Amino acid sequence: MRAPLLVLALGATSVAAAACTENLDGGAGCPSLCPEESERFRDTTFEASEIDSSLAGYPTLGLSNNLLLANRPDTLVTRAILRFDVLTTSFLPNGTGTLDSITTVDSVFLKLPLDSTGRRGGNPVTLEAYDVDTTASDTVPAVLRSLFRPDRRIGTLTLTPSSTGDTIRVPLSRTFMQARIAAKSRVRVGLRLTGSSGQLRLRAFTLGFGAPTLQFDPASDTTYRPITLTTQTTLSGAENEVNLAYSLYALTDIGSPPPGPNTLVVGGYPAYRTYMRFNVPRRISDSSTIVRADLLLTQQRSRFGNVRDSVAVFPLVPTATADVSDLRRILDLTAEGTLLGVDTTRFVPGDSGVRSLNVLGLARSWRLQAPTVPRGLALRIALEGAQPAELRFFSRTAAPALRPKLRITYLPKSEFVLP
Amino acid sequence: MNRAMLLTNHRPRAGAAATLLLVASLAMPGLAGAQGSLGALGFGYPVNGMSIRASGTAGAFGDIDPLSPINPAALGGIARTVLSAQTEPEYRRLTVGGVTERTSSQRIPLLAVIFPARRGVAVGVSARGFLDRSYTTTTTGTADVDGASLPTNEQLTMRGAIGDIRGAVGWQIGNWARVGLGGHIFTGENTGVRERTFADTLRFGSTLDSSRVTYIGTAVSIGGEVRLFKGLAAAASYRAGNRFEARIRDTTRAAGNVPARLGGTLRYDGIPGSSFAVGFEQVNWSDMQSMASARTRAHDALNLFGGAEVAGPRLRGVPLLLRAGYARTDLPFSTTASPVREIRLSGGFGFPVARDAAAIDFSLQRATRSLAGSGARESAWLLGVGIQVRP
Repeated sequence: MRAPLLVLALGATSVAAAACTENLDGGAGCPSLCPEESERFRDTTFEASEIDSSLAGYPTLGLSNNLLLANRPDTLVTRAILRFDVLTTSFLPNGTGTLDSITTVDSVFLKLPLDSTGRRGGNPVTLEAYDVDTTASDTVPAVLRSLFRPDRRIGTLTLTPSSTGDTIRVPLSRTFMQARIAAKSRVRVGLRLTGSSGQLRLRAFTLGFGAPTLQFDPASDTTYRPITLTTQTTLSGAENEVNLAYSLYALTDIGSPPPGPNTLVVGGYPAYRTYMRFNVPRRISDSSTIVRADLLLTQQRSRFGNVRDSVAVFPLVPTATADVSDLRRILDLTAEGTLLGVDTTRFVPGDSGVRSLNVLGLARSWRLQAPTVPRGLALRIALEGAQPAELRFFSRTAAPALRPKLRITYLPKSEFVLP
Repeated sequence: MNRAMLLTNHRPRAGAAATLLLVASLAMPGLAGAQGSLGALGFGYPVNGMSIRASGTAGAFGDIDPLSPINPAALGGIARTVLSAQTEPEYRRLTVGGVTERTSSQRIPLLAVIFPARRGVAVGVSARGFLDRSYTTTTTGTADVDGASLPTNEQLTMRGAIGDIRGAVGWQIGNWARVGLGGHIFTGENTGVRERTFADTLRFGSTLDSSRVTYIGTAVSIGGEVRLFKGLAAAASYRAGNRFEARIRDTTRAAGNVPARLGGTLRYDGIPGSSFAVGFEQVNWSDMQSMASARTRAHDALNLFGGAEVAGPRLRGVPLLLRAGYARTDLPFSTTASPVREIRLSGGFGFPVARDAAAIDFSLQRATRSLAGSGARESAWLLGVGIQVRP
């Protein structure tokens, strides 16, 4: 009697114990046996922008990794200013162990690293270097432009942009360099392209230092190691960032046109950024789950620069609270949109019509943001300040059909738990 | 060496069989498939919340069993303190449209304590399952977005139950009658989590929504049992339901009444060592209709039971109690005008241990359910294991 009882008891107990692992997954009986009704998705498209504006002057001086040197008279003409305010005036001759003054120099070059993807032009162009040092107001573009004259030219190099490598060496005048060292002075070089149409994209900064260098031999004997100087300058009473900005920067002779009325611009030269602040009903942003969010912008055909080459637009997410009203400051306090899953979008500047930006990640982050942070979005172009391309969109002051809109699909919060 | 090992050594075949059963049963949930459920429609499956003894008779002994918190009169005359706990896993198999799904769920349908007092009075406190609503459904469908129909996946996870906490007193009046009074609190919660995903995950994000409802209600039950003549007794009980509220975030979203219940049982124990019972119960589940949406239909149920308990082979001089029963019940909720019909066949046994200081009961029920017009059929095994301790 005991044995069968034991088997039965243990069997029943173990089955009961095994059942502690529940398996409740199913669904074949739906929808007939699933009376809980799913809430329907809602679609809405509305003019959400309550503030929009395009701000010029990007990238901030000293913060761009690249510098565009262009001679495209119908589009873009720029010059570059390089400051070498600290010159080496002594060297260690080989084997002597004593420090000697530099009295003669040889092989003076300006070494310019290039971003080879930014070169343009299949015909030879002339890269001219000028002495742009002056005692006049040396940060005023008009003053600097006036110094690009033949009697101040200190070097030239003829090259074909499309066939350059990743570095070019521009020979500079030995006499000029020797005199500057002897005078314990400084070297400020202005660069421009002349001749045929073309452009070069210079690498401006690497790891916080100017990428272009000034090289020379401190004697006519070539066994000496060349001396290399990096760009640097010191403005009276200026912060380090300002000094860095003016160590290497560009002047624009011909750039992109201003936005004009009813227009938002992203990119251009100098580049613009566009800021938009949205007014989204709380019932959508906070009390619903947003499953799709597109920013619909009506694009205008651009006639500036490379109108047929597609360009990427990067989203920026403002993080400043409503206490900050200065738009430039708001743009300074933005985070990269990719951190919120808002990806880049590519556009062709020469196109027109309604364009859609996927801002789902941004819209879904709104409910997590502090209520004091306005819901907004900023746009900047890729290679900002280093490519002649712009995107133009109609602003909130344009005709109603052309204004920026948000297209949102959302699921309202529902209390579906009651059967 | 413990007792189990000793037994195994003395009974190698029995030990091997027990081990096989253990291994097989542990693997069972992993083999189980998925579920949609006829039993869990509406506010859930009506867990009978009876003792394993009563389950072994398919509920026929519910009105006369002191451990089953149905009829408070059954407490009358209990002379020893009793602590009772039990578990009742269920294995379901649903067939609909040629597709079969399986599930397993675990329940602890009853915890009870009975304290004897003087002069035939006993007090009982119990917590039993009332409606169990636990399931997960995964479905594919479409969502209309801007006029386009987009494929979606939806998973709905529903968990929770409503329980019945009862405090009751029973009094045995001489040898011919017992009466009782009980107070009930019905409380519990359901939590639903719904996740919907789109096939196009680049443009569309998923949704994860949750919703929680808590329930609170009260009821009063009275009961009595009368010995009509030698060997034949009649028992009846009635539960009057009060307001029953469904609250979401502290706001009453829906209200109804705890379903009223009327039950009656005839018991015959004129044959020594045997008891036979037939009974019925009428449960007014429609008292909860106002708590549900129009998609859920609550049906009043007239349930019928019949069962027996007989003394079987002796174990250490004490007879093993064998049980069997039949029930035909209507489940409270469906999606149509017809209720889900359930037929249950049951069997079980119980035996005392430690010289009557404890008892162990087992029950096994086979339930088949159907909903007219739906084409869906469901079958289930419900295994009950209970232990009573009488310190």
